[in-house]
Amino acid sequence: MPKVAVIKFPGTNADLDVVWVLRKVSRLEAYSIWHSEFRADGWDAVVIPGGFSYGDWLRAGAIAAKSEVVKELVNALDNGIPLLGICNGFQILTEAEVLPGVLLPNESCRFICRWVRVRFVNPRGPWLKLVSNDFVADMPIAHGEGRYYVGFYEEVSKLPLITYYGYNPNGSSYDIAGVGTSDGLVLGLMPHPERASEPELTPRTLSQGGRVVWLSISNALREGW
Amino acid sequence: MALSSEELDEIRTALGREPTNAELFMFEAQWSEHCSYKSSKHYLRLLPSSGEGVLIGPGRDAAAVKVFRDYAVILKIESHNHPSAVDPYNGASTGVGGVVRDVLTLGARPIALLDLLFFGSPEDGHARWLIGGVVRGISDYGNRIGVPVVAGMTWFDRSYGKYPLVNVACIGVIAASKIVNDKPKENDYVVIVGNTTGRDGLLGSSFASKSLDLQGDVDYLPAIQVGNPLVEKLIIDFLVEAADLGIVKHVKDLGGGGLATALAELTSNYGLGAYIKLEQLHVREPDLRPEEILVSESQERMLLVVSSDNFQKLKVLLDKYGLQYSVIGHLDGSGIIKIYYRDDLIASLPADTLAKPRIKFREVEVPAHHIRLHNDDSIRLPEVGLGDALLKLLSSPNIASKEWIYSQYDYEVGIRTVVKPGLGDAAVLRLIDVDDGLGIAVKGDGNPRYVFLNPFRGAANSVAECYRNLISVGSKPIAIVDELNAGNPEKPTHYWYFTEMVKGISWCAQELKLPVVGGKVSFYNEDLSSDIMVKPVATIVGVGVIDDIKKSMTFDLKDYGNYLLVVGTTYPELGGSEFLHTCLGLELGEVPLPRPSTEVSNGGYVSKLVGLGYAKAVHDIDIGGLAVAVAEMCINGMKGVRIDLKRVPSRGCSRVEELLFSETQARYLIEVGRDRIDDVLELASLYRADVGVIGEVGGSDLIFTWGEFEAVNVSVNELRRTYTNSLELLLGR
Repeated sequence: MPKVAVIKFPGTNADLDVVWVLRKVSRLEAYSIWHSEFRADGWDAVVIPGGFSYGDWLRAGAIAAKSEVVKELVNALDNGIPLLGICNGFQILTEAEVLPGVLLPNESCRFICRWVRVRFVNPRGPWLKLVSNDFVADMPIAHGEGRYYVGFYEEVSKLPLITYYGYNPNGSSYDIAGVGTSDGLVLGLMPHPERASEPELTPRTLSQGGRVVWLSISNALREGW
Repeated sequence: MALSSEELDEIRTALGREPTNAELFMFEAQWSEHCSYKSSKHYLRLLPSSGEGVLIGPGRDAAAVKVFRDYAVILKIESHNHPSAVDPYNGASTGVGGVVRDVLTLGARPIALLDLLFFGSPEDGHARWLIGGVVRGISDYGNRIGVPVVAGMTWFDRSYGKYPLVNVACIGVIAASKIVNDKPKENDYVVIVGNTTGRDGLLGSSFASKSLDLQGDVDYLPAIQVGNPLVEKLIIDFLVEAADLGIVKHVKDLGGGGLATALAELTSNYGLGAYIKLEQLHVREPDLRPEEILVSESQERMLLVVSSDNFQKLKVLLDKYGLQYSVIGHLDGSGIIKIYYRDDLIASLPADTLAKPRIKFREVEVPAHHIRLHNDDSIRLPEVGLGDALLKLLSSPNIASKEWIYSQYDYEVGIRTVVKPGLGDAAVLRLIDVDDGLGIAVKGDGNPRYVFLNPFRGAANSVAECYRNLISVGSKPIAIVDELNAGNPEKPTHYWYFTEMVKGISWCAQELKLPVVGGKVSFYNEDLSSDIMVKPVATIVGVGVIDDIKKSMTFDLKDYGNYLLVVGTTYPELGGSEFLHTCLGLELGEVPLPRPSTEVSNGGYVSKLVGLGYAKAVHDIDIGGLAVAVAEMCINGMKGVRIDLKRVPSRGCSRVEELLFSETQARYLIEVGRDRIDDVLELASLYRADVGVIGEVGGSDLIFTWGEFEAVNVSVNELRRTYTNSLELLLGR
């Protein structure tokens, strides 16, 4: 069975949540790995989950982005190992310049936890293999620094994008909630797909919008993408 | 020095000599009201604390109650009122840190937080500063440690304008066999883990055991602790793993009273002594004096008792998480706490003398205003527009949506939150730690207006309210904890509120068969610079169990054509109501009568309907009465309903206002499908529940009629706008 590593930094708090969903929804082998014990070989995919790595001191994701693990992960990308960054994981990947853009404090200057509707644009790669273009889904966000900023839309327009649909909760440029590399091998997003993948956790009138991500990676690791 | 001359004499007599300087500091910390419960202890014995499933009751850092098979839920409640009045951000965030560490002392994974907040009017600038700081403090700390704030309550009252009450509770879960609860023995190591010890929070417990003068120029800041959530998160990860490995015997939080209190309680509880070398502790400032080290309340520090055999394993784990630690000494059988600092013996105290000061019996006097206000039957209701009154109630910050607050908390982290804030009467968490499908419900309640008018009834009603909220979401209530926030115990009229609250809780909990497994007392909630009494309040946090989370209930109306039922008889009980307060500016009258036996029968009936799947939505009737409860169901379901008030079971009511806004206890609203209505009514007679089929879900307006007379007709859209936006308008985007 394909194996997925979920990296835990000091302050990471959603590692077990992602492990649960990878096992339950993706039906993959998954483990939470303490950052200093992580070695890239032997893993079929890696997730950097949400939380407050190093307490978000300095800037969200800034310290973890300089860590040995992230250096090792960047090297592993050459071997085609899919990498997903959720929330703080996304912040780390932009700070490490693996993904374009930066994440700034929310326009309201307050932490925001709520469900939002998002749309997938140009979906491709292992994390979005089963997603069709313009697919609309519900997921919760929970962040204080989630305002995506990028100077020109042209920088990202051709990339896989996840955009807020109908309501932009934090003032992100071009409503961007997530972005991938051109091949879709790396994906980062502020909403939490792991919190929107089971009927028990999804409010009655909303969709289990994160499920498609976990079904995609499951399919991609077994059958290629 | 907070020790009285009487207490100093007591100390001299017990020791047979003059106490040393370090000893005086230790006594001041441990004999403070905050740590010793000297004014409250003998009343607290009234509370029923045992019951089926109670593994660890009051007296420890946290309580443990057995739920499903071999798992235990851990509960703890704390207040951080004094520090939050001075520094709302740090005061509130360290409150969260402390209550989480208390749950951690049993090795449990903390899975949920609740906050019970009492603020001044949002229109008052200083109150707004306190509100913003407290909420941001809880948000920043709770979010960073990855423990979701899932429920609670917020109350606004002028008396909290400069002096907020901040109560927080934490829920944990652990396999019962893994609870860290071994008996400490001679020669076990005493290890302090976590943050460095510094000058923050020096004698914070003693500061919290005095009335504050918030106008004066007294500098309270040195007594305020400052939190570091990253270290707390590491301690959580470390201790959960250590408990799982079974390598720690006993844990204590270094909370109020710091090291002095932790050592006193540890040794005295187990008839042991301790040999401590203070200079071995890791400190922040090299010039810290030994007596400061003993009473510092620097945050994120825990005392671990470890056998020498397991110490190496513990060290490996501590190094993995990069946590600082020091072995400061060991336990012995002497019953004496001996503190050395650089080879000097600076304190040598019998553990029992330090840990157990004499109980203080305080005088009680009924305040004059109580008799005047509570017995006021002079309420002459003027004519008010009923639709306007309902909108006014929905815009009252006590009732309006608290989304401005809870959206700042990450209430989803941990992927356990099934019924989320704002959707049900309580939060429901699935216990993925145990097995799929099992869950618990948690909720916190308190009503300062009821307590102010009648503390016995007010506190009892909060127990009942919590019980109903737990029932509403489909759980079986199993235990509560209480926090008693009161004024100065040395003032007989203040102390009276405390004693009445304890009696009220004790009686109602006993009747509802709910063990009070833990609690906390906070005295001296008093601002000496103000004439207004900070309203005392008892807050209750309860836990219920759910066998199948798929059956957990929210209160949004589900389908057109369904019936709406009211369970329970309505009495003319507008005294102390939100209606009188918000619409008429009155705060008086007879507080609604607690009705525990009706609570039990009606609660049993509602549970049955939920269990059988007959109920589509359940909502308890709380402040604002029937009208507000129906409106909330409409708002969340975005559906209208037409209700004939003639069908509401009532006794003695002579006005429509009483049917709409009375706050009679033991009542619920239930949405039932047409196909089940006969079964539901048949069950009602079996359970002897008074039930009225009062309306039908339909349209997009909320309409209340009395026969031909249309009392209220408001569109659900308008209700929703008012309910959703009011708090945000008051507090700012």
